[in-house]
Amino acid sequence: MKLIRKTIKHLAAATIATAMIAGAASAADKLKIGFVYPSPVGDVGWAYQLDEGRKKLEAMFGDQIETVVVENVPEGPDAARIMNQMASTGAGMIMIGSFGYMNDGLKLASQKPDINFIHASGYKTAANFGNFQTRNYESAYVAGMAAGYASESNTLGVVAAYAIPEVVGIINTFTLGAQKTNPDITVKVVWLNSWFNPSKAQESAKSLIAQSADVIFSLYQDTPSVVSVAEEEGVYVVNTSSDMKKYAPTKLLASMTIDWGPHFVTQVKAALDGTFEGTAYWGGMADDAVGLASLSDDLSAEQKADIQSVMDEIAAGSFHPMTGPIIAQDGSEKIAAGESIDDGAMRGIDWLVAGVETKLPN
Amino acid sequence: MTATIIFILAGTLAATVPLLLAAMGELVAEKSGMLNLGVEGMMAVGAAAGFVTVAVTGSHALGLIVGGVAALLLSGVFATLSIVFLANQVAAGLAIGILGLGVSAGIGKNYEGTTVTPMPKLSFGALGDVPVIGPALFSHDIMVYLAIAAAFAVWFVLQRTKLGLIIRAVGESPQSAHSLGYPVALIRTACVLFGGAMAGIGGAYLSIAYTPLWADGMVAGRGWIVVALVVFGTWIVPRVTLGAYLFGAISLLELSIQGLGLNVPSQLLSASPYIVTIIVLVVISRNPVLIQLNSPMSLGQTYRPNG
Repeated sequence: MKLIRKTIKHLAAATIATAMIAGAASAADKLKIGFVYPSPVGDVGWAYQLDEGRKKLEAMFGDQIETVVVENVPEGPDAARIMNQMASTGAGMIMIGSFGYMNDGLKLASQKPDINFIHASGYKTAANFGNFQTRNYESAYVAGMAAGYASESNTLGVVAAYAIPEVVGIINTFTLGAQKTNPDITVKVVWLNSWFNPSKAQESAKSLIAQSADVIFSLYQDTPSVVSVAEEEGVYVVNTSSDMKKYAPTKLLASMTIDWGPHFVTQVKAALDGTFEGTAYWGGMADDAVGLASLSDDLSAEQKADIQSVMDEIAAGSFHPMTGPIIAQDGSEKIAAGESIDDGAMRGIDWLVAGVETKLPN
Repeated sequence: MTATIIFILAGTLAATVPLLLAAMGELVAEKSGMLNLGVEGMMAVGAAAGFVTVAVTGSHALGLIVGGVAALLLSGVFATLSIVFLANQVAAGLAIGILGLGVSAGIGKNYEGTTVTPMPKLSFGALGDVPVIGPALFSHDIMVYLAIAAAFAVWFVLQRTKLGLIIRAVGESPQSAHSLGYPVALIRTACVLFGGAMAGIGGAYLSIAYTPLWADGMVAGRGWIVVALVVFGTWIVPRVTLGAYLFGAISLLELSIQGLGLNVPSQLLSASPYIVTIIVLVVISRNPVLIQLNSPMSLGQTYRPNG
C-alpha cells in the first residue's frame, strides 16, 4: 500500500515538477537552484525548516538566483527522476532534502560535474556533492537543562521514532543536560518504531505522562502532535526542528531550532563564485545552525542566564556536551573525566547514558 | 500505576472509536457481499474533509457529517465501478483507496501540520469524580459512547430485523435474493455507501477529536487494520468489536510497557497489537462450521443480474 501511495505522490510531484521546471527554464543567466523535499512544507517540521533556508537565500541573493521547489517526493526512483529533470532543465545547484536521496544524487552528480549538490543528513561527498547536518545534540543539552529545572517529578519522557545514532546522541545529551541542573533526573523513552504516526506519538506522550513524566521531549516528530497534547495535559514540552510555541503557548519550555540559512548562503556564494567544493558540514551553535527558541518565562532569570552561558561555552568551543566522566546505562564508564567524545564516535553512538531507564532496541 | 491504568482504560475507549466505526461500516458492506478494500482511503478523505470543516466552521458535529459525506461520495465511486460497471471488487477497492489518499492530501494541503481544538468532552457530574472509573469511563466526548451504540445497532439490524436478513441473503446468494424480488444492486449500493459514511466518520474522529491535527498520511494504516478485524472477527459483530477494543488496548499497553524500561525489544512490543489481536480472534473463531455460517458466500464476487 505504501508503494501505491508513493506512486500517486510521485505522479503528482512529477507533474508539478515538470510544470515548475518548464516555467523556470525560461529565465536566463541566473543560478537556478532546485530544492527537493521529502514531505509537504506545511507550517512546521523538517521540510519547513529547509524551505526557510531557501527563503533566506532568496532574500540574500535576490535576482541572482532562482529557486524551484518540489515537495513530498518519495525516496527512490521518483526522487531520481525529479533530480534528473531539474538537471536537464538548467538547474546549476540542487539541494536534496532527505537521507535516502543520497545515492541517486551522487550518481547524478558524477554524470553532471557542472551541477553542485548539497545533501541533507547523508555521509558521502564528492567534488560537486556536499552534505550537511546539524549538531542537534548541542541544543538538546541546553534543552535538557531547561527540562531539569522545570521537572518536579524528576522524570522526563521522550517520544522518539527509531533508535538511530543521531537520536541516541540527542537523548544522551538531553539527559546529561537535565542531570546538570537536576541530578535526580531519570528519563523514559517510547520508541514509536515508525517515522510517521501522529496519533501514536500522542498516545506515547500520554503514556509517559501517566508514568509521572512532567516534561515531554518531542524528538523528530514532524507534526505538533506531542506538543499540543502536552499543552492539553498541562505538562511542559520540548521539541525539535521548528519553534512550536503557538501549539503550546503556556507549556512549551523551549524549541530546539535548526537554521540552514547560514550554510545555504555560503554554499550558494561558493557556487556563484565558482569555488564550490563538496564538503561535509556539521553545523552547531558555533555556526548559528542550531539554537533554542521560545525559552519559557516560567524559568527564572538565573536559570535562563545559566542556560545562556552554557550555550555561549558550546558556541565558543570551550565545552562539549559529551564531556566525561560519562557513565553508560550498564554502569561502565564510557568517557573518562576531562575527555570528550570525538565527532566520529558521536556520529555512530550506540549506547545510552545512565539515567535513561528505557533500553535501546537491539 | 493508577494513572497508567486510567491511561489504558480511557485511551482504549477513545483509540478504538475510529476502528470500530469503520469496522461496522465495512462489516455491513461485506455482509452484503461487497469487499471494499478502500477503507484506508475513505478514512483519509473523511479525516481531511472533517478537519478542514472544523478548522473553518469550528463545529465538530458538522466536521463529522462532512467527513462522513465525503467518504460516502468516494464509496459511491466504488459502488459505481463494481456494481454498475461490474468491475473486480478487489481492484476497484484498491483503486479508490489510492484515490482517497491522494484526494485527502489535496483537501488538506493548506492545513498541513495545523491543529484544531479537540471535540468537547461530555460532563457526567459526580460520576466523573469517582476514582479511576470516573476519569477512565466518564471523561470522553460523545463519539466514544455513540461508537458502542453504533456497534449494537449494526448487530441488532443484521441479526434481528428483516432488513438485516435481506442484507445477509444478498451476501449469501445474490441470485436467490434477486429471484425473490429483492433489488440486489440497490441493497449492495446502500451497504457500500453506509460503509463509506462510517469510515468517513471514523476518519474525521481521528483528525478532529482523537489527534486534533491534520497531517498527510495520518490514518497510518488503520483502514487496513479495519479490513483485517472484520475478516479475523469472522463477520460477527461482537467479535469484531472485541477485536477492535483489544487492538486499541494492546497498542496503548505496549507504550506503557516501553516506559517501564523492561528488557523487551520495542520492535516486538510495537508488533504486539497485531500479533495478539490476530491470535485471539483466530482462537475464538476456530470453529470452521461457524466461519462458514457467518462468512458471506458471495463476498468479493461481482453480481451480474442477467448471467
